Amino acid sequence: MTVDAVGLEVMGEAFASIAEEMGLVLIHAALSPNIRERRDCSAALFDARGEMVAQAAHIPVHLGAMAEAVAAARAQAPRPGEMFVLNDPYTGGTHLPDITLIGAIDLDGQVGGYSVVRAHHSDVGGMQPGSMPAGARDVFAEGLILPPLRLTPEVERLILANVRTPAVRRGDLAAQRAAVERGGDGLRALVARYGRDQVVEAARDLMAYAERRTRAALARLTTTRLTATDFMEGDGIDDRDLPITVAIEIRDGVFHADFTGTAPAAAGNVNCPLAVTRSAVLFVVRTLVPEDVPMNAGVQRAVRVTAPEGCLVHARWPSAVAAGNVETSQRITDTVFLALARGGVPVPAQGQGTMNNVTFGGVGSREWDAGWTYYETLGGGQGAGPAGPGPSGVHVGMSNTRNTPIEVLELEFPLRVREYALRTGSGGEGKWSGGDGVVREVEALAPMEASLLTERRRHPPCGAAGGGDGAVGRNLLKGGLLPAKVTARLAPGDILRIETPGGGGWGHLGEEKT
Amino acid sequence: MVRVGVDVGGTFTDLVAVEADGGIRVRKVASTPADPATGLFRAVETLGAAAIAVLVHGTTVATNALLERTGARVVLLTTKGFEDLLWLRRQDRAALYDLSRAYPDPLVAREDVIGVAERMGGGPEGEVAPLTDQEVRRVVGAVRALRPEAVAVAFLFGFRHPEHERRIARAVESALPGVPVAASHEVLPVFREYERISTTSAEAYLRPRVSAYLGRLSGKRRDGSIGSISAWRIMTSSGGTLAPEAAAQRAASLALSGPAGGVVGARLVGEAVGILDLLTLDMGGTSADASLISGGAAVSEGAGTVAGVPLALPAILIETVSAGGGSIAWVDEGGALRVGPRSAGAVPGPACYGRGGTAPTVTDACLVLGWLDASHPLADEVRLDRAAAERAVESLGVPAGAAGIVEVAAAVMARALRRVSVARGIDPRQMTLLPFGGAGPMFGCALAEALAMRRIMIPPHPGVLSALGLAAAAERVDVIAPLHRRLAELRAEDVRDAFGPLLAQGVGHLSAATLTRFADCRFAGQGYEVTVPAPQDNPETIETAFLEAHRARYGYGERGDPVEVVNLRVVAERAVPGPRFRAKSGGRPKPGKREITVWGERVTAEVWPLEALPAGFSFEGPALLAGGDATALLEPGWRATVHASGAVIGERGGR
Repeated sequence: MTVDAVGLEVMGEAFASIAEEMGLVLIHAALSPNIRERRDCSAALFDARGEMVAQAAHIPVHLGAMAEAVAAARAQAPRPGEMFVLNDPYTGGTHLPDITLIGAIDLDGQVGGYSVVRAHHSDVGGMQPGSMPAGARDVFAEGLILPPLRLTPEVERLILANVRTPAVRRGDLAAQRAAVERGGDGLRALVARYGRDQVVEAARDLMAYAERRTRAALARLTTTRLTATDFMEGDGIDDRDLPITVAIEIRDGVFHADFTGTAPAAAGNVNCPLAVTRSAVLFVVRTLVPEDVPMNAGVQRAVRVTAPEGCLVHARWPSAVAAGNVETSQRITDTVFLALARGGVPVPAQGQGTMNNVTFGGVGSREWDAGWTYYETLGGGQGAGPAGPGPSGVHVGMSNTRNTPIEVLELEFPLRVREYALRTGSGGEGKWSGGDGVVREVEALAPMEASLLTERRRHPPCGAAGGGDGAVGRNLLKGGLLPAKVTARLAPGDILRIETPGGGGWGHLGEEKT
Repeated sequence: MVRVGVDVGGTFTDLVAVEADGGIRVRKVASTPADPATGLFRAVETLGAAAIAVLVHGTTVATNALLERTGARVVLLTTKGFEDLLWLRRQDRAALYDLSRAYPDPLVAREDVIGVAERMGGGPEGEVAPLTDQEVRRVVGAVRALRPEAVAVAFLFGFRHPEHERRIARAVESALPGVPVAASHEVLPVFREYERISTTSAEAYLRPRVSAYLGRLSGKRRDGSIGSISAWRIMTSSGGTLAPEAAAQRAASLALSGPAGGVVGARLVGEAVGILDLLTLDMGGTSADASLISGGAAVSEGAGTVAGVPLALPAILIETVSAGGGSIAWVDEGGALRVGPRSAGAVPGPACYGRGGTAPTVTDACLVLGWLDASHPLADEVRLDRAAAERAVESLGVPAGAAGIVEVAAAVMARALRRVSVARGIDPRQMTLLPFGGAGPMFGCALAEALAMRRIMIPPHPGVLSALGLAAAAERVDVIAPLHRRLAELRAEDVRDAFGPLLAQGVGHLSAATLTRFADCRFAGQGYEVTVPAPQDNPETIETAFLEAHRARYGYGERGDPVEVVNLRVVAERAVPGPRFRAKSGGRPKPGKREITVWGERVTAEVWPLEALPAGFSFEGPALLAGGDATALLEPGWRATVHASGAVIGERGGR
């Protein structure tokens, strides 16, 4: 029996609200500003076969990259009711700060599905506060590695013993656990109402529906082979350009991206496990599909991603990966968008193409922790599109985190924000202008370390269809220019200023706006 | 002496009068969107009452000014270096995948923002950079040159250190008499600068418009043409009421004035019946509003966003979805049947209205299914055309047809109900669903089943429950002040002293009121608070209440982790004489019969006159309850009993 049109809508809503509810539980109960204010987290529900049934729309970089986590947990022969934790980028994870909890949902004594919550913990130990070190040369330097493990009190003690902010981590993990459990409750309630068979059937039909809609949208696009190359501006160890090359073919409603020609894995931390590359491509495909299509494994079935093993976007153990998830993923979407734009697909010009990762850390500002860490990413300009200008001061591409309110930041950390403004005029010119970047100027009130992982400081975001490029970003310490990826010591009174890139313009300047 | 509630909706203006003895009278007139006051007074005139003690008004003036962006020209004064905060918002984009979508513009034009050289910090010392006399003069000059209709003042950390805001506000007020000035430490003294600045700007934006409207009401009231009205109260988003003069100073708190009345009405009916945990659903023409009553009290939360404008003021929890009687059904490219968000509105309206509409709507589906009676006009001028409804539904080409439309509409509404209950950790299964509004009572059973609920309650006068809520709402004022202290470092005296000024404010707004104290608590480091009652000064009792509430909501909460009190709240409330809900006594009404379709099956339903049912009378579904202002559907498998109050309680059988 297949679920009819009505059942599809009803069950789609039911699954989606379970995932949304999981996310709300986490955000409302978490301690760290990165999770509760910036909402750097995602929640999803999987079926017993490990296919994603629903995901709360939070952070694109987590999109579709959670199936690997479920597969990794399933390889551990989960028993009903068990909960797993992992962050190993080479076994189900993305980068170490993203700690994923996977609950095997107990349905009448069997594993009836998986409840998954991924959250960016702004401290998983390693060589530097904030666990996003710019100079890491392997994954070991980046923090504590958690292969898929049953989340026992012992494992939790191990995690807490390896981080600089154990009390905050403990609170965040408690909230994350509560969110996972809520997902299990939600699925059980659904099964109690409709019966197990009906729920399983509905999940499969929803995936088939999403796949149908995705293929239908892709089938409307051109089928010629499209290619593009774009560059990463160094790997944190040296600043040589690292090319990312993509060839795209859309055939029979399947979007195939192949990354042959991309640079080999780098010595620094800009490498991506294939899961991240896949979610970057999936994100681009998602923007080509109508927004109301439910996000589940069905969308993924219409996407194929290949890359030579050992290259930048398909890195092998033990390459360092902290920035791969946040920066290289952005460049992958940029490169794919660029190829599509050249092929006449109506996609926007490139956006800022970076998350402008800034991590601050020091010792002893909060009394209950050994140290403090603060992680933020900054919005910038979105590229303009065929239909209008690019939005300003927003996260583009693979991020959609919120900012930390200044009043939260200054109450919790020894920092003072001196300026937070739009970077007027930084968007590229065109018939429609690109969005403006932002300016953020912060003063250190105590000795601390700051780590910057940024991009688009050299190669600007490209305009499209004759539009101008966006302005490159700039990092300044005490008025002097800093490299794109760097770790610096700040003394009290030192001022760090970040100017984020503008988005590319679309169409020729002066063209009539219709 | 009569208390009157007037609910001005998009299509109809509803009036309910509650007599001194609790008797209820109902009036319904067409709304006058150009000037809602006209419709309001017409409704009052039809009542022909000699003397009205109090008229409580639920208004959409603030809501519509936000929706239509027709508020005042506002100049915003904010900390220098942060002039763009309204545009930066929280930096997340408007749509995750639609990369070009922009947020609605803020209420203030960028060239009307003035950065003020000053800075407060978060610590106890406060001032980081002074506000000089020279700067005050410069700013006042700049404001004057912009000729604003209202001024908003919102500085960083103004919620904790209001001195600079206060100085500049006074200077502007004395330089520009007659121009309202809203300062953030008065409008919303809580942390998170973006939400506070946005809310303060909205207050300034709405104040002239709201005061003008309230002034017009007072003017018409004084000219004596509509009899004597001794006092006016305006409903706020939090379900409280304010005198017009106070409401004019708290304009942003009226953003959800309309739907709040319905929740208050639902609470009253629940109280009369003795059912204290309710999910409510108000289904109107274009949308449905879900809300929650827990332990006999409406649940309050920040309103979130109204018309794209973040407003962080206390508000009754309301989730709105685009599923009303006029919502249009369609089939998407993947073959799924959808309902809304497009609506046929009142004009052209559903196809069955015969006013030129051809798109199939929820109302058309209800008519095709036989739930609505074509021979019974909805209102004087609207007669229902069943053939037109059938044509419209058939045009969809979906085998499920009308049954599919109502089922999808129910799914959309179920989601709103889930968001106010399940999504907040509240299990609806033990609660009762109270559907109201013109279309809501037809969906009670379906929605209850979708949420695994076993009981529904059709209130007396379901179609005008909002106006009834207004007439009978307790007078209520909410006041709030930040505290930001660890519970462990507070002594009982500190708690008492901190509540002191709030209690005084509460009494100031509402003399002889009952005052209830609450504390917004969280574990140190959390970003969201749980509001718990704080009747005693002893900090330990507050901690216990918090831990219990946290455990109930999130499943954990151990003593030992530091707990913070973020804000203190006082609710001042003064009860008013309530309506007398009473079913007819004795007599056995005779049912009509009608062929209807439920869950795809043709059944014969009994049709009962809702207002004529005696207390204790019970009947089984399938049945329709035909009321003067709404129709209710009791599905097969349900059994209903008429409560002494006139409410009809439906219970699901054992399947």
